[in-house]
Amino acid sequence: MKQLLYSFLFIYTLTIAPLWALQENEITSFMQKNMDVATTILRDTTLQKSQKAEKIFSIFDTIFDYALMSKLAVGGKHWEGLTPEKQKEFSHVFEETLKISYMEKLDLYTDEKLIIVKSEKIKDSRIHLTTHLIKNKEVYEVIYKFYKDASNNWLIYDVDVLGVSIIQTYRTQFADFLAKESFNNLIIKLKNKDSQPQ
Amino acid sequence: MRIFFIILLSFNFLLAADYFETAPYVSTSSLGNDDFEKEFNDPKKENIIDPLSGYNIIMTNINDKFYEYLLKPTAQGYAYIVPENARNGIGNFFDNLFFPIRFVNNLLQFKIQNSIDELERFTINSTMGIAGFADVAYSTFNIKSHQEDFGQTLGFYGVGSGFHVVLPLFGSSNLRDIAGLLADAWIDPLNYIAARDINILKNSEQSLYLTGFYTINKTSLHIEEYDNFKKDAIELYPYLRSFYESRRTKLISE
Repeated sequence: MKQLLYSFLFIYTLTIAPLWALQENEITSFMQKNMDVATTILRDTTLQKSQKAEKIFSIFDTIFDYALMSKLAVGGKHWEGLTPEKQKEFSHVFEETLKISYMEKLDLYTDEKLIIVKSEKIKDSRIHLTTHLIKNKEVYEVIYKFYKDASNNWLIYDVDVLGVSIIQTYRTQFADFLAKESFNNLIIKLKNKDSQPQ
Repeated sequence: MRIFFIILLSFNFLLAADYFETAPYVSTSSLGNDDFEKEFNDPKKENIIDPLSGYNIIMTNINDKFYEYLLKPTAQGYAYIVPENARNGIGNFFDNLFFPIRFVNNLLQFKIQNSIDELERFTINSTMGIAGFADVAYSTFNIKSHQEDFGQTLGFYGVGSGFHVVLPLFGSSNLRDIAGLLADAWIDPLNYIAARDINILKNSEQSLYLTGFYTINKTSLHIEEYDNFKKDAIELYPYLRSFYESRRTKLISE
């Protein structure tokens, strides 16, 4: 019994503990390793689309700062005026929006290769990791933007696809929407979008 | 041994507690002094002045209806009849015809190697590639195409984008890129321009048909991608505008 407990604890430690901190020098190796894992998952024909997405999210969730992404998409000024409950509610809905959008992209995946091109330290608290998605003769550039949080962990706060920032694109749309509608309506709109059949 | 596990256990609980209490929102509190807002409010990244927004929204809707109810069903019908290989070949044929636009604009931006690549591609594909239907230059010689247009050339010389304009049928554009479209139209072989010395086509009617055919063929190859792309929109006009302006800025910087 005791042994079982210990082994359980041991496995628990191995799997949970290392997840909550990505150090600067680990970014490239972490991404390289997990992009390879993701490619294997994507190519696995025995898995359903939702299963693939689930597996991929479980790898990358730990390094995506969805709360910050929500704040940036809404815009700091507007964000400060919201109650913590509203912020939390929005973050959850927006995380779902982002994930569903990603999941829909899986339909387009065929046999693309993913490679890391370079890692650039833009400034003390920002690192841009440039990757290429190669499909036949087309090369799509995807940049993962990391920042250093208060406890020196590196997390992703935005992704540029073909030079277009995902967060900026949402931010523009949210600003436009919030100029004429209430914040609650924005949450409702995102919820409706999330629950649409894929 | 037991001590070891106790330490391990408490360490775990500390981590877990830390995670469940703060981790998902840890950033929000730690961000106050960071300059994220500045990063996303950068005027270069976003066209803030949008005097035509009223017209642009209406034109975006018209274009969208045109796509959904006319262009897309036509392209789908066409795709049903013509196999994908043939459509790719036709796409290559047209891309090969647009060689002058790429060649001139690469040259104007001093991208000499790119211009040479384009010249080689045109020569190889027009001959060995049977009038451009097969992209032999890439498949055999690994020479890639270098897309450039006059809007990008203007951007290269520091011309600002000007405000956003949604054109009928063409879609998203801005003042700089409209000037670019007009300049490129002058050397576009698919156009019939009476004032021009050389015209491949006999009249503007032919030009209209060919442009229509080109558009349907091209659309048929990207329906799935475009539908997927459009699904992400929360507000269609700002979505397309933001995407277009960022993408153009990126293309000019390359």
